[in-house]
Amino acid sequence: MNIEIELSRALVVFVSAIFTQNILLAYFLGLCPFIGVSREIKTAFGLGLAVIFVMTSTSLLNWLAYHYVLEPLGLHFFRFILFIVIIAAFVQFTEMVVDRFSPVLYQNLGVFLPLITVNCAILGASLFMVIRDYGFIVTIGYGLGSGIGWFLAIIAMAGIRQKLANDRIPRGLQGAGITLIIAGIMALAFTGFTGVLQAR
Amino acid sequence: MKESPQARKLEEILRSSQLVAGGFMGYDTRPVSEIIESDCAEVSRLGQTVEQIAERMRLITEKAKQRLGCWTEIDASRRARVDEAKGFLVCPWSHPGRFAKRVTIVTTAATGQTIRWSDLNIHMIAEHCFFEGRGSAFRIEPGELVF
Amino acid sequence: MVSAVLIPVIVVSSIGAGLAAVLVACEHFIAAYGPCDVNVNNRRTLNVQGGKDLLSVLTAEKIFIPSACGGRGTCGLCKVKVNQGAGPLLPTEEPYLDEDEKKSGVRLSCQVKVRNDLKIEIPDELLAVREYVCRCDQIVDLTHDMKQFRLELREPEKIDYVPGQYIQLLTPAYEKSGEEVYRAYSISSDPAVEGAIELIIRLVPNGICTTYCFEYLDTGDEVRINGPYGDFRLSESDAPIVFIAGGSGMAPIKSMLHHMKNTNNKRSAVYYFGANKVGDLFLVDLMRRFESDLADFRFVPVVAEAEPAESWDGETGLVTEAVERNLKNAPRCEAYLCGSPGMIDAAVSVLQKLGMSDDRIFYDKFA
Repeated sequence: MNIEIELSRALVVFVSAIFTQNILLAYFLGLCPFIGVSREIKTAFGLGLAVIFVMTSTSLLNWLAYHYVLEPLGLHFFRFILFIVIIAAFVQFTEMVVDRFSPVLYQNLGVFLPLITVNCAILGASLFMVIRDYGFIVTIGYGLGSGIGWFLAIIAMAGIRQKLANDRIPRGLQGAGITLIIAGIMALAFTGFTGVLQAR
Repeated sequence: MKESPQARKLEEILRSSQLVAGGFMGYDTRPVSEIIESDCAEVSRLGQTVEQIAERMRLITEKAKQRLGCWTEIDASRRARVDEAKGFLVCPWSHPGRFAKRVTIVTTAATGQTIRWSDLNIHMIAEHCFFEGRGSAFRIEPGELVF
Repeated sequence: MVSAVLIPVIVVSSIGAGLAAVLVACEHFIAAYGPCDVNVNNRRTLNVQGGKDLLSVLTAEKIFIPSACGGRGTCGLCKVKVNQGAGPLLPTEEPYLDEDEKKSGVRLSCQVKVRNDLKIEIPDELLAVREYVCRCDQIVDLTHDMKQFRLELREPEKIDYVPGQYIQLLTPAYEKSGEEVYRAYSISSDPAVEGAIELIIRLVPNGICTTYCFEYLDTGDEVRINGPYGDFRLSESDAPIVFIAGGSGMAPIKSMLHHMKNTNNKRSAVYYFGANKVGDLFLVDLMRRFESDLADFRFVPVVAEAEPAESWDGETGLVTEAVERNLKNAPRCEAYLCGSPGMIDAAVSVLQKLGMSDDRIFYDKFA
């Protein structure tokens, strides 16, 4: 495996994961906390960082577990269970760290911190990594890029929602309704990036 | 449906005796959200809103309060009395607010029916549409409050 | 065949177990805060294990901070001034603190986690509060819903209190209530009698503590209390006194009257006692004895709804109406009120109407 080729491929995957194949806006994964925590930029920022951390780390851990444990034993079908177990344990660890070093953020995130476990974007990133057969270095690029892409999407959404805070939105659409409409418009905007990169 | 830790904590407090003896749920095994939904539906069916019901309860309590524990007429067939104890209650939901331990008792002469509520009940009905679980000491059927 | 099932199971289980072990180890190192020093009022330093909230830590060290919501952060009673080491203000605390409190470092102790050394300030009276183990040695029926309980102090054997103060009675978990709960009751006994205190308790329908006291507590049972608390007490002046208290509100007044008799206090006093029915009156004989023992004391029972058959010839109507009718020198008097919030509100407005200024009206604020 030529390191240079891997690195350049990792870079391409990294950029595409943020813009053209944004895991949230292109694949619509990880919507629950996206809607729930995007009211304030401060909290969205905190959650976004936590997701980057978890997504990158779990993609790598899962790559290692898949290639050094499951593949040799021929247990590919166990990836769903194993990935979730590793993600759950890692999120617990993240919770401990956040509570220790920033209790205010811990309180503000509330239920959404443990909910990162079932954030389908996290599991999705690991599964895409398997399906597309990424190497280790490419996985770093992919995990980091997906995380940053998700982070970007939630920050943008929080910014838009904070601006909308004083606008009159029809009652039926307040909250989740208008957020999904905005998400759809953002997704449309991001499709403008397709064709910029040919990612494989 | 998976509950958030907040909802689970709320349900736990409602069933425990931490705030009132016997809790707020009586022998009702339904989850809180179901109880609230079915009572809310009953209120709409009766053509009222919880705000209207709570306002009526508040007015009766205010009137009876002036009499410091003696009976007072509230309409042609009903009398009300207020019983107060020292101390206060907090709402099981997590928001600030203290409620006096004031129990309003209303009897209807014609039917002999007696209903009672506390200040906390008025708040829980108005803000949370919660009439308490079946079998709870302070459960009131929405129908009994529409008059 | 068997190995095809066994191997994956073992693999996944061991990975799961391995991760769990790693998490336990992490918790040990990350979430552990080690021993912390909590300096209270520069008078006492507690050495405790970090990681728990300040309220539980203080309670475990027998410093009783008031709390009514079990540490959930909804009653706002557990305020403590933290001068050092508190960490940032949590969103759960914000609604309960005003600007001045936030500036001076007041926090909700149930929300502050002890992670490092702390310097805190609490009212000095709270440091004087102790826990007492008592034995209930007498229960007297006063009316159909009122009982007097005499608690003999076992350990410690003496309690220092000012007439008007209250204690918190610990209701243990029993059939109708799963958790321990504290409820406040004023001390009604004669302060000169050492080694025991008395409480006057009214049965509240579905009340956690009163149901326990009326239906489960027996003479000979152990009772735990802590205290004394409260600022309600007679002032030093010699202005004439107006007592207004109904039902179990008589408790602190009774204690004050005993004390006035013991210290030969010559202040003029009148006590308006409101009751709904003649049957709700109690300890009338004792009050009459005070009338003859004290220099200038009058007991005025006011019955709201007297049955004709009972031939009641005393004051009738609401107690506040009787005060309004009879009190002539309100601006010179001091008023001491004890009762339900509704009665106190009504009494305060009548007294204000009669010209008494707010700083001469004292009441037991339990609510």
